[in-house]
Amino acid sequence: MTCGAPLDVRDKVSDSGWREAPRLRDMTEFRFSASTCQVEGELVPVAEISLSPQDGVYFEHHVLLWKDESVPLSSLKTAGGMKRTLGGMPHIVTVANGPGRVAFSRDSPGELVVLPLHPGMELDVREHAFLLASHSIQYSFVRIKGLANVLHGGSGMFMDRFITAQYPGLLILHGNGNVLERTLKPGEKILVEPGGFLYKDSAVQMNAVQMPLRTGMLGQHRMFLAEMTGPGRVGIQSMYVHHAASE
Amino acid sequence: MNTYVCRYCRQPSDPSQPTCPMCGAPVDIRDAVSDSGWIEQPPIRDMARLQFGQSHVQIAGTTVPVAEFALAPQDFIYFSHHVLLWADPQAQLGNMSMRGGWKRMMAGMPLIMVEGRGPGHIALSDNHAGEVIALPLQQGQRMWVREHRFLCATGNVRYDWEATNIWYDTGEDSQHQDIHYPMGQYGDTFTAQDRHGLVLLHSPGNTFIRDLRQGESLLIQPSALLYRDVSVRAHLHLEFPRNMGFAFWHARWSYHKIWVRLTGPGRVAVQSVYQPPEDSEAIRNSSYTTVYRW
Repeated sequence: MTCGAPLDVRDKVSDSGWREAPRLRDMTEFRFSASTCQVEGELVPVAEISLSPQDGVYFEHHVLLWKDESVPLSSLKTAGGMKRTLGGMPHIVTVANGPGRVAFSRDSPGELVVLPLHPGMELDVREHAFLLASHSIQYSFVRIKGLANVLHGGSGMFMDRFITAQYPGLLILHGNGNVLERTLKPGEKILVEPGGFLYKDSAVQMNAVQMPLRTGMLGQHRMFLAEMTGPGRVGIQSMYVHHAASE
Repeated sequence: MNTYVCRYCRQPSDPSQPTCPMCGAPVDIRDAVSDSGWIEQPPIRDMARLQFGQSHVQIAGTTVPVAEFALAPQDFIYFSHHVLLWADPQAQLGNMSMRGGWKRMMAGMPLIMVEGRGPGHIALSDNHAGEVIALPLQQGQRMWVREHRFLCATGNVRYDWEATNIWYDTGEDSQHQDIHYPMGQYGDTFTAQDRHGLVLLHSPGNTFIRDLRQGESLLIQPSALLYRDVSVRAHLHLEFPRNMGFAFWHARWSYHKIWVRLTGPGRVAVQSVYQPPEDSEAIRNSSYTTVYRW
Protein backbone atom coordinates (compact mmCIF):
# COMPACT_ATOMS: atom_id res chain seq x y z
CA MET A 1 0.00 0.00 0.00
CA THR A 2 1.30 3.48 -0.89
CA CYS A 3 0.20 7.02 -0.08
CA GLY A 4 0.88 8.88 -3.34
CA ALA A 5 3.48 11.23 -1.84
CA PRO A 6 6.01 12.45 -4.39
CA LEU A 7 9.35 10.70 -3.89
CA ASP A 8 11.49 13.23 -5.74
CA VAL A 9 11.02 16.14 -3.33
CA ARG A 10 12.75 16.88 -0.04
CA ASP A 11 10.90 16.81 3.25
CA LYS A 12 9.80 20.28 4.28
CA VAL A 13 10.47 20.50 8.00
CA SER A 14 10.34 23.73 10.01
CA ASP A 15 13.01 24.60 12.56
CA SER A 16 10.82 23.36 15.40
CA GLY A 17 10.22 19.99 13.77
CA TRP A 18 6.84 20.32 12.04
CA ARG A 19 6.81 18.46 8.75
CA GLU A 20 4.47 19.58 5.99
CA ALA A 21 2.13 16.90 4.71
CA PRO A 22 3.37 15.99 1.23
CA ARG A 23 1.36 17.92 -1.35
CA LEU A 24 -0.08 15.25 -3.65
CA ARG A 25 0.42 15.99 -7.32
CA ASP A 26 -2.63 16.44 -9.46
CA MET A 27 -3.81 13.06 -10.86
CA THR A 28 -1.59 11.06 -8.50
CA GLU A 29 -2.76 7.46 -8.39
CA PHE A 30 -2.01 4.84 -5.73
CA ARG A 31 -3.29 1.43 -4.74
CA PHE A 32 -4.89 -0.01 -1.64
CA SER A 33 -6.04 -3.60 -1.36
CA ALA A 34 -7.23 -4.44 -4.90
CA SER A 35 -8.55 -0.89 -5.55
CA THR A 36 -7.01 2.39 -6.65
CA CYS A 37 -7.35 6.00 -5.55
CA GLN A 38 -6.64 8.99 -7.76
CA VAL A 39 -6.32 12.50 -6.34
CA GLU A 40 -7.58 15.28 -8.62
CA GLY A 41 -7.19 19.00 -8.14
CA GLU A 42 -5.04 20.94 -5.73
CA LEU A 43 -7.16 23.72 -4.21
CA VAL A 44 -10.08 21.56 -3.01
CA PRO A 45 -8.83 18.09 -3.97
CA VAL A 46 -11.10 15.21 -4.94
CA ALA A 47 -10.36 11.57 -4.05
CA GLU A 48 -11.67 9.31 -6.81
CA ILE A 49 -11.81 5.65 -5.82
CA SER A 50 -12.01 2.78 -8.25
CA LEU A 51 -13.35 -0.04 -6.09
CA SER A 52 -12.69 -3.68 -6.89
CA PRO A 53 -15.57 -6.13 -6.22
CA GLN A 54 -14.23 -7.25 -2.83
CA ASP A 55 -13.50 -3.77 -1.47
CA GLY A 56 -15.57 -1.03 0.15
CA VAL A 57 -15.08 2.39 1.74
CA TYR A 58 -17.11 4.28 4.34
CA PHE A 59 -17.60 8.04 4.75
CA GLU A 60 -19.93 10.79 5.98
CA HIS A 61 -22.69 10.99 3.39
CA HIS A 62 -22.27 14.70 2.58
CA VAL A 63 -18.72 14.28 1.27
CA LEU A 64 -19.86 12.11 -1.64
CA LEU A 65 -19.24 14.10 -4.84
CA TRP A 66 -20.35 11.60 -7.49
CA LYS A 67 -20.57 7.85 -8.07
CA ASP A 68 -21.31 5.29 -10.74
CA GLU A 69 -24.99 4.35 -10.73
CA SER A 70 -24.09 0.71 -10.13
CA VAL A 71 -22.22 1.31 -6.86
CA PRO A 72 -24.46 0.18 -3.97
CA LEU A 73 -24.71 2.31 -0.82
CA SER A 74 -25.50 1.04 2.65
CA SER A 75 -25.04 2.30 6.18
CA LEU A 76 -22.38 1.30 8.69
CA LYS A 77 -23.56 0.15 12.07
CA THR A 78 -22.15 2.56 14.64
CA ALA A 79 -22.42 2.33 18.39
CA GLY A 80 -23.69 5.12 20.61
CA GLY A 81 -26.08 6.69 18.12
CA MET A 82 -27.72 9.17 20.50
CA LYS A 83 -24.41 10.23 22.00
CA ARG A 84 -23.02 10.73 18.51
CA THR A 85 -25.96 12.87 17.47
CA LEU A 86 -25.78 14.99 20.62
CA GLY A 87 -22.06 15.39 20.09
CA GLY A 88 -22.62 16.76 16.58
CA MET A 89 -21.10 13.71 14.90
CA PRO A 90 -22.71 12.01 11.91
CA HIS A 91 -25.44 9.63 13.06
CA ILE A 92 -25.15 7.54 9.94
CA VAL A 93 -21.91 6.59 8.25
CA THR A 94 -22.39 5.46 4.66
CA VAL A 95 -20.64 2.55 2.92
CA ALA A 96 -19.96 2.17 -0.80
CA ASN A 97 -19.01 -1.25 -2.14
CA GLY A 98 -17.34 -2.19 -5.39
CA PRO A 99 -17.15 -2.70 -8.22
CA GLY A 100 -17.36 0.83 -9.53
CA ARG A 101 -16.15 4.39 -9.12
CA VAL A 102 -17.01 6.83 -6.40
CA ALA A 103 -15.50 10.29 -5.62
CA PHE A 104 -15.28 12.41 -2.48
CA SER A 105 -14.40 15.97 -1.52
CA ARG A 106 -15.00 18.42 1.31
CA ASP A 107 -15.93 22.00 0.67
CA SER A 108 -12.97 24.13 1.71
CA PRO A 109 -9.48 24.87 0.41
CA GLY A 110 -7.01 22.42 1.86
CA GLU A 111 -5.23 19.19 1.26
CA LEU A 112 -5.82 15.48 1.47
CA VAL A 113 -3.83 13.57 4.06
CA VAL A 114 -3.37 9.97 3.01
CA LEU A 115 -2.66 7.72 5.99
CA PRO A 116 -2.03 4.05 5.23
CA LEU A 117 -2.62 2.17 8.49
CA HIS A 118 -0.67 -0.97 9.24
CA PRO A 119 -2.19 -3.75 11.38
CA GLY A 120 -2.39 -2.84 15.07
CA MET A 121 -2.57 0.97 14.69
CA GLU A 122 -4.95 3.38 16.43
CA LEU A 123 -5.49 6.90 15.20
CA ASP A 124 -7.76 9.64 16.62
CA VAL A 125 -9.15 12.22 14.19
CA ARG A 126 -11.09 15.41 14.93
CA GLU A 127 -14.77 15.11 14.11
CA HIS A 128 -15.83 15.87 10.51
CA ALA A 129 -12.25 15.72 9.22
CA PHE A 130 -12.17 12.21 7.79
CA LEU A 131 -13.01 11.86 4.13
CA LEU A 132 -13.09 8.10 3.76
CA ALA A 133 -11.69 4.90 5.21
CA SER A 134 -11.36 1.44 3.69
CA HIS A 135 -13.69 -1.22 5.08
CA SER A 136 -10.87 -3.14 6.80
CA ILE A 137 -10.51 -0.30 9.34
CA GLN A 138 -12.67 -0.43 12.48
CA TYR A 139 -14.49 2.77 13.30
CA SER A 140 -15.50 4.10 16.72
CA PHE A 141 -15.38 7.34 18.60
CA VAL A 142 -13.91 8.63 21.85
CA ARG A 143 -14.90 11.50 24.07
CA ILE A 144 -12.27 13.92 25.27
CA LYS A 145 -13.47 14.60 28.78
CA GLY A 146 -10.99 17.34 29.63
CA LEU A 147 -12.14 19.56 26.79
CA ALA A 148 -15.85 19.02 27.32
CA ASN A 149 -16.88 22.22 29.04
CA VAL A 150 -14.28 24.30 27.28
CA LEU A 151 -15.30 23.63 23.74
CA HIS A 152 -18.89 22.53 23.58
CA GLY A 153 -20.66 23.86 26.63
CA GLY A 154 -20.56 20.54 28.45
CA SER A 155 -21.62 18.12 25.74
CA GLY A 156 -18.03 17.05 25.21
CA MET A 157 -15.73 16.88 22.27
CA PHE A 158 -15.69 13.68 20.29
CA MET A 159 -13.05 12.27 18.04
CA ASP A 160 -13.27 9.54 15.46
CA ARG A 161 -11.06 6.58 16.32
CA PHE A 162 -9.75 4.32 13.56
CA ILE A 163 -8.25 0.95 14.45
CA THR A 164 -6.67 -1.71 12.29
CA ALA A 165 -6.69 -5.28 13.60
CA GLN A 166 -4.97 -7.92 11.47
CA TYR A 167 -5.40 -6.20 8.07
CA PRO A 168 -3.94 -2.92 6.82
CA GLY A 169 -6.25 -0.14 5.64
CA LEU A 170 -6.36 3.27 4.01
CA LEU A 171 -7.58 6.41 5.76
CA ILE A 172 -7.90 9.75 3.95
CA LEU A 173 -8.49 13.01 5.82
CA HIS A 174 -9.21 16.50 4.57
CA GLY A 175 -7.22 19.20 6.34
CA ASN A 176 -8.27 22.84 5.99
CA GLY A 177 -5.45 25.03 4.74
CA ASN A 178 -2.06 23.39 5.18
CA VAL A 179 -1.41 20.29 7.24
CA LEU A 180 1.68 19.87 9.43
CA GLU A 181 2.78 16.84 11.44
CA ARG A 182 5.16 16.46 14.33
CA THR A 183 6.30 13.39 16.23
CA LEU A 184 6.48 13.93 19.98
CA LYS A 185 8.98 12.05 22.08
CA PRO A 186 7.76 10.33 25.29
CA GLY A 187 6.74 13.06 27.73
CA GLU A 188 7.30 15.88 25.21
CA LYS A 189 4.50 18.47 25.31
CA ILE A 190 3.07 20.95 22.83
CA LEU A 191 0.18 23.43 23.21
CA VAL A 192 -2.23 23.49 20.27
CA GLU A 193 -5.27 25.64 19.55
CA PRO A 194 -8.08 23.01 19.77
CA GLY A 195 -9.55 24.12 16.42
CA GLY A 196 -6.21 23.45 14.73
CA PHE A 197 -5.97 19.84 15.93
CA LEU A 198 -6.46 17.35 13.09
CA TYR A 199 -5.24 13.90 14.16
CA LYS A 200 -3.00 12.08 16.60
CA ASP A 201 -1.81 8.63 17.47
CA SER A 202 -4.05 7.36 20.25
CA ALA A 203 -0.94 7.10 22.50
CA VAL A 204 -0.73 10.90 22.52
CA GLN A 205 -2.53 12.32 25.57
CA MET A 206 -4.72 15.39 25.05
CA ASN A 207 -5.78 17.69 27.91
CA ALA A 208 -7.17 21.18 28.20
CA VAL A 209 -4.93 23.71 29.95
CA GLN A 210 -5.94 27.22 30.89
CA MET A 211 -3.67 30.02 29.70
CA PRO A 212 -2.79 32.89 32.05
CA LEU A 213 -4.73 35.40 29.99
CA ARG A 214 -8.29 36.50 29.37
CA THR A 215 -10.11 37.63 26.26
CA GLY A 216 -13.37 39.36 25.35
CA MET A 217 -15.04 42.44 26.80
CA LEU A 218 -13.97 43.00 30.41
CA GLY A 219 -11.78 39.92 30.10
CA GLN A 220 -14.60 37.53 31.00
CA HIS A 221 -13.40 34.75 28.68
CA ARG A 222 -10.73 32.30 29.68
CA MET A 223 -8.41 30.93 27.06
CA PHE A 224 -7.68 27.23 26.84
CA LEU A 225 -5.30 25.29 24.67
CA ALA A 226 -4.99 21.56 24.10
CA GLU A 227 -1.86 20.16 25.69
CA MET A 228 -0.59 17.18 23.72
CA THR A 229 1.86 14.85 25.41
CA GLY A 230 3.93 12.28 23.51
CA PRO A 231 4.85 9.72 22.42
CA GLY A 232 3.32 9.76 18.96
CA ARG A 233 2.33 11.79 15.95
CA VAL A 234 0.25 14.97 16.06
CA GLY A 235 -1.26 16.55 12.92
CA ILE A 236 -2.58 20.11 12.76
CA GLN A 237 -4.34 22.21 10.12
CA SER A 238 -3.56 25.88 9.57
CA MET A 239 -7.13 26.99 8.82
CA TYR A 240 -9.59 26.29 11.58
CA VAL A 241 -12.62 27.38 13.51
CA HIS A 242 -11.39 29.16 16.59
CA HIS A 243 -12.82 27.71 19.79
CA ALA A 244 -12.74 31.05 21.53
CA ALA A 245 -13.00 30.28 25.20
CA SER A 246 -15.42 29.77 27.99
CA GLU A 247 -17.15 32.37 30.12
CA MET B 1 28.77 48.63 0.47
CA ASN B 2 25.47 46.88 -0.14
CA THR B 3 23.06 49.08 -2.08
CA TYR B 4 20.50 46.39 -2.95
CA VAL B 5 16.96 47.36 -1.97
CA CYS B 6 14.19 44.73 -2.05
CA ARG B 7 11.61 45.53 -4.72
CA TYR B 8 8.74 44.55 -2.49
CA CYS B 9 9.50 45.72 1.06
CA ARG B 10 11.74 48.66 -0.03
CA GLN B 11 14.30 47.91 2.67
CA PRO B 12 18.08 47.45 2.24
CA SER B 13 18.46 43.73 1.71
CA ASP B 14 20.89 40.95 0.76
CA PRO B 15 20.81 39.90 -2.92
CA SER B 16 22.98 36.84 -2.23
CA GLN B 17 20.15 35.13 -0.33
CA PRO B 18 17.42 33.17 -2.17
CA THR B 19 14.77 35.20 -0.33
CA CYS B 20 14.81 38.68 1.18
CA PRO B 21 15.69 38.23 4.89
CA MET B 22 13.46 41.21 5.73
CA CYS B 23 10.21 40.27 3.97
CA GLY B 24 10.73 36.77 2.53
CA ALA B 25 10.14 37.77 -1.10
CA PRO B 26 12.14 35.66 -3.58
CA VAL B 27 15.22 37.51 -4.84
CA ASP B 28 15.82 35.41 -7.95
CA ILE B 29 12.59 35.99 -9.87
CA ARG B 30 11.55 38.63 -12.39
CA ASP B 31 8.90 41.17 -11.51
CA ALA B 32 5.39 40.20 -12.59
CA VAL B 33 3.95 43.58 -13.56
CA SER B 34 0.59 44.11 -15.23
CA ASP B 35 0.26 46.53 -18.13
CA SER B 36 -1.31 49.08 -15.82
CA GLY B 37 1.58 48.94 -13.36
CA TRP B 38 0.41 46.62 -10.58
CA ILE B 39 3.26 44.50 -9.24
CA GLU B 40 2.23 41.05 -8.08
CA GLN B 41 3.61 40.42 -4.60
CA PRO B 42 5.28 37.00 -4.87
CA PRO B 43 4.22 34.64 -2.08
CA ILE B 44 6.83 34.01 0.59
CA ARG B 45 8.52 30.72 -0.27
CA ASP B 46 7.66 27.71 1.82
CA MET B 47 10.04 27.49 4.83
CA ALA B 48 11.61 30.92 4.14
CA ARG B 49 13.03 32.66 7.25
CA LEU B 50 12.73 36.34 8.18
CA GLN B 51 15.14 37.79 10.69
CA PHE B 52 14.30 40.37 13.37
CA GLY B 53 16.28 41.20 16.50
CA GLN B 54 17.81 37.97 17.76
CA SER B 55 14.78 35.99 16.60
CA HIS B 56 13.35 34.81 13.33
CA VAL B 57 10.05 33.73 11.84
CA GLN B 58 9.66 30.87 9.38
CA ILE B 59 6.72 30.72 6.97
CA ALA B 60 5.36 27.18 6.48
CA GLY B 61 2.69 26.24 3.95
CA THR B 62 1.26 27.94 0.90
CA THR B 63 -2.54 27.66 1.07
CA VAL B 64 -3.04 29.10 4.56
CA PRO B 65 0.55 29.80 5.61
CA VAL B 66 1.70 29.46 9.21
CA ALA B 67 4.13 32.00 10.72
CA GLU B 68 6.32 30.07 13.14
CA PHE B 69 8.33 32.32 15.48
CA ALA B 70 11.54 31.24 17.21
CA LEU B 71 11.77 33.92 19.89
CA ALA B 72 14.97 34.79 21.72
CA PRO B 73 14.64 35.60 25.45
CA GLN B 74 14.72 39.39 24.92
CA ASP B 75 12.21 39.51 22.04
CA PHE B 76 8.44 39.50 22.04
CA ILE B 77 5.55 39.72 19.60
CA TYR B 78 1.87 40.61 19.98
CA PHE B 79 -1.17 39.29 18.17
CA SER B 80 -4.91 38.75 18.47
CA HIS B 81 -5.64 35.56 20.44
CA HIS B 82 -7.70 33.94 17.66
CA VAL B 83 -4.67 33.54 15.33
CA LEU B 84 -2.67 31.42 17.77
CA LEU B 85 -2.15 27.92 16.30
CA TRP B 86 0.32 26.33 18.71
CA ALA B 87 3.01 27.26 21.23
CA ASP B 88 5.84 25.67 23.18
CA PRO B 89 4.85 25.26 26.84
CA GLN B 90 7.87 27.39 27.84
CA ALA B 91 6.86 30.39 25.69
CA GLN B 92 5.21 33.03 27.88
CA LEU B 93 1.73 34.18 26.85
CA GLY B 94 0.06 37.14 28.56
CA ASN B 95 -2.37 39.96 28.03
CA MET B 96 -1.46 43.28 26.43
CA SER B 97 -4.23 45.75 27.19
CA MET B 98 -5.34 48.27 24.61
CA ARG B 99 -6.63 51.81 24.93
CA GLY B 100 -10.12 52.73 23.68
CA GLY B 101 -11.70 49.43 24.65
CA TRP B 102 -15.32 50.51 24.23
CA LYS B 103 -14.81 52.00 20.76
CA ARG B 104 -12.77 48.98 19.72
CA MET B 105 -15.51 46.63 20.85
CA MET B 106 -18.20 48.65 19.05
CA ALA B 107 -16.11 48.53 15.86
CA GLY B 108 -15.62 44.74 16.12
CA MET B 109 -11.86 45.09 16.64
CA PRO B 110 -9.89 42.86 19.02
CA LEU B 111 -10.10 44.22 22.55
CA ILE B 112 -7.11 42.49 24.00
CA MET B 113 -3.87 41.56 22.33
CA VAL B 114 -1.81 38.61 23.45
CA GLU B 115 1.86 39.15 24.11
CA GLY B 116 4.16 36.20 23.37
CA ARG B 117 7.63 36.29 24.88
CA GLY B 118 10.69 34.16 24.28
CA PRO B 119 12.47 31.92 24.65
CA GLY B 120 10.35 29.47 22.73
CA HIS B 121 8.31 28.87 19.61
CA ILE B 122 4.89 30.39 18.84
CA ALA B 123 2.99 29.74 15.59
CA LEU B 124 0.19 31.88 14.14
CA SER B 125 -2.16 31.50 11.18
CA ASP B 126 -5.28 33.19 9.88
CA ASN B 127 -8.46 31.55 8.69
CA HIS B 128 -8.53 32.31 4.95
CA ALA B 129 -6.73 30.96 1.91
CA GLY B 130 -4.20 33.63 1.02
CA GLU B 131 -0.72 34.91 1.73
CA VAL B 132 1.32 36.14 4.66
CA ILE B 133 2.66 39.61 3.85
CA ALA B 134 5.71 40.89 5.73
CA LEU B 135 6.06 44.64 6.22
CA PRO B 136 9.47 45.47 7.67
CA LEU B 137 9.46 49.05 9.02
CA GLN B 138 12.47 51.32 9.38
CA GLN B 139 12.82 53.20 12.66
CA GLY B 140 10.13 55.87 12.68
CA GLN B 141 8.31 54.51 9.61
CA ARG B 142 4.53 54.36 9.86
CA MET B 143 2.07 52.29 7.81
CA TRP B 144 -1.73 52.19 7.56
CA VAL B 145 -3.34 48.72 7.42
CA ARG B 146 -6.96 47.78 6.87
CA GLU B 147 -8.63 46.41 10.00
CA HIS B 148 -8.66 42.62 10.57
CA ARG B 149 -5.67 42.06 8.27
CA PHE B 150 -3.12 42.25 11.07
CA LEU B 151 -1.50 38.94 12.03
CA CYS B 152 1.23 40.07 14.46
CA ALA B 153 3.98 42.61 15.08
CA THR B 154 7.28 42.67 16.90
CA GLY B 155 7.29 44.26 20.36
CA ASN B 156 8.96 47.49 19.31
CA VAL B 157 6.20 48.38 16.83
CA ARG B 158 3.58 50.74 18.24
CA TYR B 159 -0.01 49.86 17.42
CA ASP B 160 -2.58 52.65 17.03
CA TRP B 161 -5.87 52.87 15.30
CA GLU B 162 -7.80 55.72 13.72
CA ALA B 163 -11.17 56.35 12.12
CA THR B 164 -11.12 55.83 8.35
CA ASN B 165 -13.51 58.80 7.91
CA ILE B 166 -15.02 57.00 4.93
CA TRP B 167 -18.71 56.41 5.43
CA TYR B 168 -22.18 57.00 4.01
CA ASP B 169 -25.66 56.58 5.36
CA THR B 170 -28.83 55.24 3.81
CA GLY B 171 -32.39 54.93 5.04
CA GLU B 172 -35.75 56.55 4.61
CA ASP B 173 -35.22 59.31 7.15
CA SER B 174 -33.07 60.28 10.10
CA GLN B 175 -35.02 57.85 12.32
CA HIS B 176 -34.09 54.84 10.17
CA GLN B 177 -30.64 55.59 8.96
CA ASP B 178 -27.95 52.95 8.40
CA ILE B 179 -24.35 54.06 8.51
CA HIS B 180 -22.02 52.09 6.24
CA TYR B 181 -18.22 51.92 6.47
CA PRO B 182 -17.14 50.31 3.19
CA MET B 183 -13.46 50.33 4.16
CA GLY B 184 -14.12 49.56 7.84
CA GLN B 185 -14.85 52.03 10.60
CA TYR B 186 -11.26 52.08 11.81
CA GLY B 187 -7.86 51.39 10.31
CA ASP B 188 -4.73 50.16 12.10
CA THR B 189 -1.49 52.13 12.04
CA PHE B 190 1.90 50.66 12.92
CA THR B 191 5.01 52.67 13.76
CA ALA B 192 8.50 51.27 14.36
CA GLN B 193 9.82 53.04 17.44
CA ASP B 194 13.44 52.70 18.60
CA ARG B 195 14.69 50.38 15.83
CA HIS B 196 13.38 48.59 12.79
CA GLY B 197 10.36 46.36 13.35
CA LEU B 198 8.30 43.78 11.55
CA VAL B 199 4.55 43.59 10.93
CA LEU B 200 2.94 40.47 9.44
CA LEU B 201 -0.40 40.69 7.67
CA HIS B 202 -2.66 38.00 6.27
CA SER B 203 -4.00 38.83 2.81
CA PRO B 204 -6.87 36.71 1.48
CA GLY B 205 -6.27 35.80 -2.17
CA ASN B 206 -3.38 37.39 -4.05
CA THR B 207 -1.69 40.70 -3.31
CA PHE B 208 -0.69 43.47 -5.69
CA ILE B 209 1.26 46.65 -4.96
CA ARG B 210 1.63 49.91 -6.84
CA ASP B 211 3.48 53.20 -6.37
CA LEU B 212 1.42 56.31 -6.91
CA ARG B 213 3.20 59.47 -7.99
CA GLN B 214 2.44 62.85 -6.42
CA GLY B 215 -1.19 63.66 -7.31
CA GLU B 216 -1.75 60.36 -9.17
CA SER B 217 -5.01 58.71 -8.20
CA LEU B 218 -6.92 55.50 -8.80
CA LEU B 219 -10.27 54.02 -7.81
CA ILE B 220 -10.46 50.71 -5.95
CA GLN B 221 -13.03 48.52 -4.25
CA PRO B 222 -13.03 49.87 -0.67
CA SER B 223 -12.62 46.48 1.02
CA ALA B 224 -9.77 45.46 -1.32
CA LEU B 225 -7.30 47.93 0.19
CA LEU B 226 -4.73 46.01 2.24
CA TYR B 227 -2.21 48.66 3.30
CA ARG B 228 -0.95 52.07 2.21
CA ASP B 229 1.75 54.55 3.08
CA VAL B 230 0.29 57.16 5.41
CA SER B 231 1.14 59.78 2.74
CA VAL B 232 -1.56 58.29 0.47
CA ARG B 233 -4.92 60.02 0.94
CA ALA B 234 -8.28 58.22 0.62
CA HIS B 235 -11.85 59.43 0.15
CA LEU B 236 -15.19 58.16 -1.08
CA HIS B 237 -16.09 58.41 -4.77
CA LEU B 238 -19.50 57.68 -6.31
CA GLU B 239 -20.18 56.91 -9.94
CA PHE B 240 -23.67 57.04 -11.42
CA PRO B 241 -23.96 55.09 -14.67
CA ARG B 242 -26.00 56.68 -17.45
CA ASN B 243 -28.65 53.98 -17.48
CA MET B 244 -30.46 54.04 -14.13
CA GLY B 245 -32.33 50.79 -14.73
CA PHE B 246 -35.24 50.41 -12.32
CA ALA B 247 -33.69 52.78 -9.79
CA PHE B 248 -35.99 55.64 -10.90
CA TRP B 249 -38.96 53.64 -9.60
CA HIS B 250 -38.46 54.43 -5.94
CA ALA B 251 -36.79 57.30 -4.11
CA ARG B 252 -34.95 54.83 -1.82
CA TRP B 253 -33.19 53.14 -4.71
CA SER B 254 -30.14 54.39 -6.46
CA TYR B 255 -27.98 52.93 -9.19
CA HIS B 256 -24.43 53.79 -8.33
CA LYS B 257 -20.98 52.36 -7.82
CA ILE B 258 -19.05 52.96 -4.61
CA TRP B 259 -15.30 53.45 -4.83
CA VAL B 260 -12.46 54.71 -2.71
CA ARG B 261 -10.15 57.15 -4.48
CA LEU B 262 -6.50 56.84 -3.44
CA THR B 263 -4.23 59.79 -4.20
CA GLY B 264 -0.41 59.63 -4.13
CA PRO B 265 2.35 59.92 -3.36
CA GLY B 266 3.05 56.54 -1.83
CA ARG B 267 2.70 52.80 -2.01
CA VAL B 268 -0.64 51.02 -1.94
CA ALA B 269 -1.44 47.29 -1.80
CA VAL B 270 -4.68 45.51 -2.67
CA GLN B 271 -5.90 41.96 -2.05
CA SER B 272 -7.85 40.06 -4.71
CA VAL B 273 -10.54 38.84 -2.29
CA TYR B 274 -13.01 41.52 -1.19
CA GLN B 275 -16.66 42.15 -0.38
CA PRO B 276 -18.40 44.67 -2.63
CA PRO B 277 -20.42 47.24 -0.67
CA GLU B 278 -24.22 47.36 -0.85
CA ASP B 279 -25.01 49.83 -3.59
CA SER B 280 -28.74 49.70 -4.22
CA GLU B 281 -30.04 52.19 -1.68
CA ALA B 282 -29.96 55.95 -2.12
CA ILE B 283 -27.21 57.67 -0.13
CA ARG B 284 -28.51 60.41 2.13
CA ASN B 285 -25.30 61.69 3.63
CA SER B 286 -21.61 60.80 3.49
CA SER B 287 -18.05 61.73 4.37
CA TYR B 288 -16.19 63.88 1.84
CA THR B 289 -17.20 62.41 -1.53
CA THR B 290 -16.49 63.14 -5.16
CA VAL B 291 -19.22 62.26 -7.66
CA TYR B 292 -19.22 61.46 -11.35
CA ARG B 293 -22.40 61.08 -13.40
CA TRP B 294 -22.06 59.38 -16.76
